[in-house]
Amino acid sequence: MLRALLLLFLAAGSAIAAPVVKTEHVEAELIAEKAAFQAGKPATVGLRLRMEPQWHTYWKNPGDSGLPTKIEWVLPEGWKAGPIQWPYPQPLPVGPLMNYGYEDEVVLLTELTPPANAAAGKVPVKARAEWLVCKDICIPEKGELDTTLTLAAAEAAANPRIEAAIERARNNLPVDAPGWKFESSLTKTALVVRFTPPQGASVPAKVTFFPDREGLIEPAAPHKISRDGNGVRIEMKLADPPPANVKSVSGVAVTDAAWPNIRSRAINVAADAGTMAPLAGTTSSGSNALGGGTLAALFFALLGGVLLNLMPCVFPVLGIKVMGFVEHAHGEPRAMRMQGVMFTIGVLISFVALAAVMLSLRAAGTQLGWGFQLQSPGVVVLLAALFFVLALNLSGVFEWGAFAQSLTSNLSAKGRYADALLSGVLASVVATPCTAPFMGAAVGFTLTQDAASALLVFFVLGLGMALPVLLLSMFPRLLRVLPKPGAWMETFKQLLAFPLYATVAWLAWILGALGGNDAIFALLAGLVLVAMGAWFYGRWAHAGGIWQPAIAVMLGAVGIAVAWPGQVAPQEVSHAAPKAGELAWQPWSPEEVRRLTDGGQPVFVDFTAAWCVTCQVNKRVALNNADVVKAFAAHGLTPLKADWTRRDPRITAELASLGRNAIPVYAIYLPGSEAPRLLPEVLTPSIVLDEVSRLPAAKTAITLKE
Amino acid sequence: MRTAIALAAATFCVSALASAPPGRPAPAFTLTDLSGKPVNLADYKGRTVVLEWHNFACPFVQKHYRSGNMQALQKKYANDVAWLAVNSTAKTAFDYMEPSAVSKQLAEFRAAPASYLMDEAGSVGMSYGARTTPHMYIIDPSGKVVYNGAIDDKRSTNVEDVKGAKNYVAAALDEMKAGKPVTVASTTPYGCSVHYK
Repeated sequence: MLRALLLLFLAAGSAIAAPVVKTEHVEAELIAEKAAFQAGKPATVGLRLRMEPQWHTYWKNPGDSGLPTKIEWVLPEGWKAGPIQWPYPQPLPVGPLMNYGYEDEVVLLTELTPPANAAAGKVPVKARAEWLVCKDICIPEKGELDTTLTLAAAEAAANPRIEAAIERARNNLPVDAPGWKFESSLTKTALVVRFTPPQGASVPAKVTFFPDREGLIEPAAPHKISRDGNGVRIEMKLADPPPANVKSVSGVAVTDAAWPNIRSRAINVAADAGTMAPLAGTTSSGSNALGGGTLAALFFALLGGVLLNLMPCVFPVLGIKVMGFVEHAHGEPRAMRMQGVMFTIGVLISFVALAAVMLSLRAAGTQLGWGFQLQSPGVVVLLAALFFVLALNLSGVFEWGAFAQSLTSNLSAKGRYADALLSGVLASVVATPCTAPFMGAAVGFTLTQDAASALLVFFVLGLGMALPVLLLSMFPRLLRVLPKPGAWMETFKQLLAFPLYATVAWLAWILGALGGNDAIFALLAGLVLVAMGAWFYGRWAHAGGIWQPAIAVMLGAVGIAVAWPGQVAPQEVSHAAPKAGELAWQPWSPEEVRRLTDGGQPVFVDFTAAWCVTCQVNKRVALNNADVVKAFAAHGLTPLKADWTRRDPRITAELASLGRNAIPVYAIYLPGSEAPRLLPEVLTPSIVLDEVSRLPAAKTAITLKE
Repeated sequence: MRTAIALAAATFCVSALASAPPGRPAPAFTLTDLSGKPVNLADYKGRTVVLEWHNFACPFVQKHYRSGNMQALQKKYANDVAWLAVNSTAKTAFDYMEPSAVSKQLAEFRAAPASYLMDEAGSVGMSYGARTTPHMYIIDPSGKVVYNGAIDDKRSTNVEDVKGAKNYVAAALDEMKAGKPVTVASTTPYGCSVHYK
């Protein structure tokens, strides 16, 4: 025991007994964090430089002049030395010039790793360090720093005095800022770096950016800092001549206050050069505002709009429209055309209105995405009631009569136009939560655009959706193949009620996801009252009196009041054990993605919502496929579910960083790679298998639940 | 408002440091040499001019003179170029040397610039954006800057590093002599800060 203590004492003594090298202006010494090293385990040593007052040494990018400090390690066989870990620098102005470096004292940390088979004992270690120390003049100095490290079998205690010095140095190292987004762009004369903090955090008022690359910016030129949304953009003067081949920008951002939730005053910043989307309000004005990006977005919006017609959300409404066509296919072509035009107008008005509401709410700071209306339980209830009433009408429970024009009957031309308009509106409202292929990117593009361009994209999206109907109405000959109206029409009409009932069932399920079991019960109870009102209306309202329709409407109103959602309690997302042959979804969070990828695991994220029909179809058809489940396990791919059924600003923000504003979105995050791989919006098992098979095989396969 | 004024002042101070990137006309100047005689850049119109920002107190400059590197270049290209050393160190600076002291050192090192120009006001250095000693510029016979940057690619004060370094100035001058465009026209200069007024 005494011997062990004595050994420990000796070991501690030897670690701090490193001689101090004194040069003209600097005292240099090596300090080891721990009294003893262990074989195969990295431990930190520091080169401490104490400068004379007002003398300074340099950072890895010294600025306008100077030289970074160099350390060459002379280590025993098998030992490894890591790179210098540079503390963040301070700006050192020299007249009109600027240097980046350190005054008074700096500790440059390096990790040393003994080989795994290293034997215990004393180990001589040498650092040949060279530094340029400057005040009015510069003196190149060097020192050979010798120390003897101890290699012990057991972990040694840290030397308190040394540990404090190393801890101080560690506190000055820049750290990664999780959840922050950095973008940069270069103009002819300026480098702009944009900092976007995670939701709820803000950028400190004063930030200084030190680029890693020398000769990138004019170090002495002042930063121009401006607010940009909830972030900040820093504009710096580019060096003249500017450097060639700037593909990315990296460096350290230092604040004199504190970064929110980050222990260091300095954070690491890295961004591809030119990744920054043009800012709202700074896009060029006039007719040239449509860049190639906008034109491409418009094209994809049109294509996505057309494909929306094939998405499951739109089917029920489209069914009604098709029946309208059947009725009029053999009628007057002009009336037919007008119907097509009215339907188109209805769609366009709704798309633009929904987009305008979304954009203005976003501008007011609410994190919203396309399809946001179904994140609000009240809207879901109203839609459910509306579709239910329409379905009851088609089932023949009641006729609209003179009170309102039927959606399908054609008592007057005016009525036909109104119902065409209305079906356009309906189709749009239910279609928005369905992202079609090509549409996701186009809608996401609007995030980066000013309001006018964004509205244009949504307008074209609506145009795309209305296009097939519009074309059919323009060329009624295409419809001549349809049978003439007759008795079969009544049967067909009643048949069409069922897709609408199905829509109501779907809306009830969404409400369940938003508000739980009670909300579903309230809705269904309310719908019973609505049905009673409809029956009352059909049975007695045509008698001519005023109180019969009034009672019917009152019943409906009470029904909606009953169905109206109360305070929606945030539900704990339940994660039931996966069924056999299904993926074991884990809840998503940006931290979880980072934790898993940092640990070397690839991650599959399903951005989904109960109201997203395409998402549900994909899940059933492609993701819960036996082969896909096996492939996930074989490649160690962890499935995470980001549920956007309710508003979740973190998900909206993550989608925005992927350039999306609508779901479904499927993303595979790979370790060591910042940008995830995106899969198409509509999945088939083979698409997923193809993507997954490109991943490297897992080192340890996740156990598969069979 | 005070912030605005401070900002404007800061911008003004910094904009004092201009630049002379390759492709642009070299800023004109008249300076006095060590004997007090005025020297005008326009005097060398039609010739290739090398500008070398200089200060003997700087260890980076010392490296290129102790090794004989700079003198060798000055002599090698003496027939083809006008080699002008420029010293922009302010009179008040710690490392300022009187013209007489500079002359003595030049003789000791057997340096051979065509002329050694004193720029104590720093105005010429600032108009070129000279940051370090050494900081090298080459001006072609038409008066255009064709090179701006470091003397070579070994950023150090170690005399041994001169051997094996790629000398950007020599490479550019050789290319110009062969009638070829300068391949590497700008690099990041290294050295001591120029101590401006």
